[in-house]
Amino acid sequence: MSKFAQGAIALLLLLVIALFATQTNAQNVRPPGDAVNLESTGQPGPSNALGDRSDSEIWDAFRGGDPNDLLAPRPDGVVLSTTGQHWREFRENYINKYALWLPAGVIVILTLFHLISGKMKISAGRSGNMIPRFTLNARVSHWFMASIFILLGLSGITIMIARPILVPLLGSKVTSVLTSAALQGHNLFGPLFVVALLWMFIKFVRGNFFQIVDFKWIFKLGGFFGGHVSSRQFNFGEKSWFWMVILVGIVMSATGLALEFPWIMEDIRLLQLSTILHGIGAIALISVAIGHIYIGTIGMEGSIDSMLKGEVDENWAKEHHDLWYEEVTGKSAKD
Amino acid sequence: MGFLDFVEGPLFVIAAITFVLGALWRVIGIIRIGRKKDISPPKGSAAAGFIKGNLRHFFPRGIFARRTWLHIIGGYGFHIGLFVLVFFAAPHIAFLDDRILGFGWQGMPRWAFVLVADVAFAGLIVLWVRRISDPVMRLISDWEDHFGSWLTFLVMLTGCLAMQQSHDVLRAVHMLVIDVWLIYFPFSRLMHAFTFVLSRGNTGATYGRKGMNL
Repeated sequence: MSKFAQGAIALLLLLVIALFATQTNAQNVRPPGDAVNLESTGQPGPSNALGDRSDSEIWDAFRGGDPNDLLAPRPDGVVLSTTGQHWREFRENYINKYALWLPAGVIVILTLFHLISGKMKISAGRSGNMIPRFTLNARVSHWFMASIFILLGLSGITIMIARPILVPLLGSKVTSVLTSAALQGHNLFGPLFVVALLWMFIKFVRGNFFQIVDFKWIFKLGGFFGGHVSSRQFNFGEKSWFWMVILVGIVMSATGLALEFPWIMEDIRLLQLSTILHGIGAIALISVAIGHIYIGTIGMEGSIDSMLKGEVDENWAKEHHDLWYEEVTGKSAKD
Repeated sequence: MGFLDFVEGPLFVIAAITFVLGALWRVIGIIRIGRKKDISPPKGSAAAGFIKGNLRHFFPRGIFARRTWLHIIGGYGFHIGLFVLVFFAAPHIAFLDDRILGFGWQGMPRWAFVLVADVAFAGLIVLWVRRISDPVMRLISDWEDHFGSWLTFLVMLTGCLAMQQSHDVLRAVHMLVIDVWLIYFPFSRLMHAFTFVLSRGNTGATYGRKGMNL
């Protein structure tokens, strides 16, 4: 065979190979928009096949789909749920947007109250005699919780109001830095809240169970508007605050851990619910904590001593916790 | 030169030199003071007492253990936690490798970092709130004790806030606080990190020479 014939055969072979290769590749090329789909054979087609449903049908199926979790197998073929959109709208338009209204309202009310009524003084003045009220361990557990609470509150609020308030105020770059820092801090201190909550519960649960005398406190509105109200070591307001911290704290801990470790929940709706409950719980705790801080510091004379020094003035004890005073001293509070 | 380059570069070098020279100056100064010659015949070994004094103080005495468990746990949690964070956090190892040592070692995984940081923070917070809650501690504490605690807290806090490593400004703030901390360290009570060996050893040596059982 001449060299020419050998070359011609080789060229022909190359052309045949090239033709087959081109046809094979053609299977991967997206068909034109007006292409007619072949009838379904019941066999799964290639992953890039167009399918037999229009975009509007697909999106309709998405929106009308059963809003189950996204991680579980989806026999109905639905891959998006409408609850995600509802959750996002509720969170952005209500919780994040109005997060500061309740705490701000509490601050306004307390400021007005303080301006009108002034500091609640010890009626009989300070006696100078101090009575032990809280052990060092109890005080440390309280301040430990307070420290963690403040760190979590500040970082949590920063995350919550970032989009609706901080971006318009500070711009997206600064907000991005702040929220990145706040998120890291929040995630870091979150587990410590669980420890603080447990410690608080152990140290303070005794004495915080509701008793008959607490009803009298409710009827007299805690003596805020005059009149004496008797109470044991903790009054109704303090007990309510304690149980609120514990119960809402449990919810905050559970939802917070779920959000920090999202892989422990398979249902995305639970994560969405966690963000809602976490946000509402945070706003509630922060708002009431402002009242607690007010009463414990500038609102009432002598109350800060109990948590700073561990002891309170005898006249303060007689006035605010007369039954406890009688219990620990064996003396009458009326003397 | 950007702000990050400045706090990680020239300012860090100045801070590190101040830290090393300042700490050496303080420790050598204390050693040079020496001890008054004891002319009484020794009844035991001062050297053994030095070592024993140091080791013995790592554990609370039985009669005090119940009263001191809170700050014992807090103290160990904070100090060990801080040590582990400084030397085993991945960004710290990378920094030491790149800027000082030229070699690195295996860092902690993220979950371990969070755990250790939580322990360290809990310890530091417990120690500080005890300082303000205990009447005796409050009385013997002055501004320097609080400043040292808060500065150390800020070093740890800014480090953790920069953990995502997504913004240079957070890293720069952390480095700036570290630089301040390094410069402040040798001239403050934070020096107890080095001088505790000398003070415990001095007590131990004195008792050891007298033949007292520590």
